Amino acid sequence: MQTQTEQERELAELIVESLNLEDVNAEEIMPEDPLFGDGLGLDSIDALELALAITQKYAIQLKADDANMQQAFGTLRSLNTYIMEHTT
Amino acid sequence: MKIKRHFPITDRKSDEIIAFYRGETIEVGQFLTEAKALASRLPDYRYAFNLSTNRYEYLLGFCASILAGQCTLMPPNRLDSTLKELAQQYPDSYTLGTTGFSYQEIENGTYRAGPGEIQDDDNPLVPADQLCAIAFTSGSTGKPSPNPKYWHTLRAGSFGNITLLLKNTAERLNIVATVPPQHMWGLETSILFPLFTDVTISDQTPFYPQNIAEAIGSLPGPRALISSPVHLRALLKSGVTLPALDHIFSATAPLPTELAHLLEKQFSTKVFEVFGSTESGIIAGRYTTEETNWHLSELFELEVGESGNLIRAGHLPGDVVIHDVIEKIDDHSFKWLGRHQDMVNIAGKRGSLIDLNRRLLAIPGVTDGVIFSPGDESERLVAIVVAPYLKPADIVDTLKPVVDPVFLPRPVYMVSALPRQETGKLASSAIRQLYEDILKKKRQDKEST
Repeated sequence: MQTQTEQERELAELIVESLNLEDVNAEEIMPEDPLFGDGLGLDSIDALELALAITQKYAIQLKADDANMQQAFGTLRSLNTYIMEHTT
Repeated sequence: MKIKRHFPITDRKSDEIIAFYRGETIEVGQFLTEAKALASRLPDYRYAFNLSTNRYEYLLGFCASILAGQCTLMPPNRLDSTLKELAQQYPDSYTLGTTGFSYQEIENGTYRAGPGEIQDDDNPLVPADQLCAIAFTSGSTGKPSPNPKYWHTLRAGSFGNITLLLKNTAERLNIVATVPPQHMWGLETSILFPLFTDVTISDQTPFYPQNIAEAIGSLPGPRALISSPVHLRALLKSGVTLPALDHIFSATAPLPTELAHLLEKQFSTKVFEVFGSTESGIIAGRYTTEETNWHLSELFELEVGESGNLIRAGHLPGDVVIHDVIEKIDDHSFKWLGRHQDMVNIAGKRGSLIDLNRRLLAIPGVTDGVIFSPGDESERLVAIVVAPYLKPADIVDTLKPVVDPVFLPRPVYMVSALPRQETGKLASSAIRQLYEDILKKKRQDKEST
């Protein structure tokens, strides 16, 4: 069973809130399940919305070396790690 | 005897720069050498799915396919079901390009663009009537419908587009596009412009605002950005600072006038908005902050009739129906009044609400329901469903394999009945009222917890 850390929970809540995911509970987002595509089913519009929400909350700009954000920000855990690495 | 007409693959001189590729400049001569080398290595199939995410590699693949007498298929989306269906309809096809896509099983082989071994930068000729691409629209029945693009269509269309879009730009322009080359808007600008006019493209497709800023910064001036309202809104809201940017070109959805004003103010740039469709290509344009009317490209004639609006042009295989309500001002301009009620446009994709609703009602266990566009900033569709034994996630999961992700309703609300009239009709005002009641109740529930 994957468990969320406190920071991951906070990020999960931001995802649910900013993307209007009424049917998803923040605590149900498995840290290592894919956010995009088959997992939570997010798409490119969500990626932009989420990037804005993250910029506002954590004061960092998301970056991906190519358009394939599914790989760069694949899971709650990898996204959280990215944020932690880029906030001082 | 009929003389077969031919046109060159590019109208540029061999020492001009066509692209910035992985930090290097690529001259037209080198590009031609590479395209011809790739053409000679391509497998012997009639159709190619070009999935390259690097824009220069896409350009190479696109032109190499043309030189090999092949045709590029442009699917309306990247859904597995769509691609499999197309691959079945076009069995004589292979995949050109890239990795990271989930439908590898349809491939007959993957071929990657790379440096060529033949030193030959002659400019080859292409038959005017060669079928070079088929751009698919989602189609109201859910089946992708094909729009053939012949070499003369692409070429003549490009010269019209260059006149319309680039008439007030510097003679040389370096461009970055946030839209993929696999979409008509991306193809007509970032792939075809550099073949026919003094435009150099960046090989990147930046997505996040910070990436867009860096991609623009990596180019010399004068610079232009090819984008869409969704990307531009995110760019503005993110607060990133951009290097000097001379022009922004936006298409795929209506650009709100306030957004255009804010973009021009924030980035000291000029915003040009473009109107078009997959069937017709670019049709018209306007400076959104200065003009309400649209200027028709010189190639097109507009016919406004009671049964619908038609666009006609010599380079198109047939007349094209415009899925919008428009008012003709004169032969060169028109006013856009809105979309037909059935049509929605999200993330550059056109969908039919009638089709989506038919799919919703076909789900076993759904007794009634409606998918509609609430018309707020998020663009998302909303569903209100009567299905006593189903959960919202069941509805979405059933639609997922057959509906483009951008058209999946979010959220899905469950109710016990819809406010239908005695005739069975569901008035849009009644849906709107029900939707507002649901939102109000949600807010109250939230406050009380």
